Amino acid sequence: MARDGESRSYRRKFCKLCFDKVDRIDYKDDRRLSRFITDRGKIVPRRISGTCARHQSQITEAVKRARILALLPFTSDQYR
Amino acid sequence: MKLYETTIIFDPGLEEARINEELERVTGPIAQAGGEVVEVQRWGKKKLAYNIKKRRDGTYVHVKHKRPAPLISEMDRRFRLNESVLRHLTVLAPKESPRVAEEAPKTEGAPRAAEVAPTAVE
Repeated sequence: MARDGESRSYRRKFCKLCFDKVDRIDYKDDRRLSRFITDRGKIVPRRISGTCARHQSQITEAVKRARILALLPFTSDQYR
Repeated sequence: MKLYETTIIFDPGLEEARINEELERVTGPIAQAGGEVVEVQRWGKKKLAYNIKKRRDGTYVHVKHKRPAPLISEMDRRFRLNESVLRHLTVLAPKESPRVAEEAPKTEGAPRAAEVAPTAVE
């Protein structure tokens, strides 16, 4: 049931990683991972990014590893 | 023996020779324990996403190796004692890692031949 009446158009979200047929997400691939974090460094939730469960859990693990290696930020300083 | 990958971030002030020396200390005991160094990747100096020990950059080295499991904790302990190691991470390597390396092959655009034929000047 659309709250805003008929005006709002819905576009079905899809998992970008399934679309690219990504087999495994590498924690060393910070360029790819950076697409799945917000500008504050948070991991983008599944309901926003549309990633499938399998890939989301891979993202989560990879981002956490990348953070340890300072490839990705835990948080962004600019908001302090 | 399982295949591990270890990434080490060294102090950026360390010169090449010191890093080789430190790496030697990491890879040396592997062979003695019947392990094997599969691959050493040097990523070079990279900017850190956040400061570690007041350093903005770090020299990254990535090592793939096989060794008996008890030696991992020993290696971990040494890294933590080592002042020139800013950060380290050891994880189990994915089973078919070559797949990652083959990802995104760069396709070179074929040099386009000059389409415009030289016009004959009469």
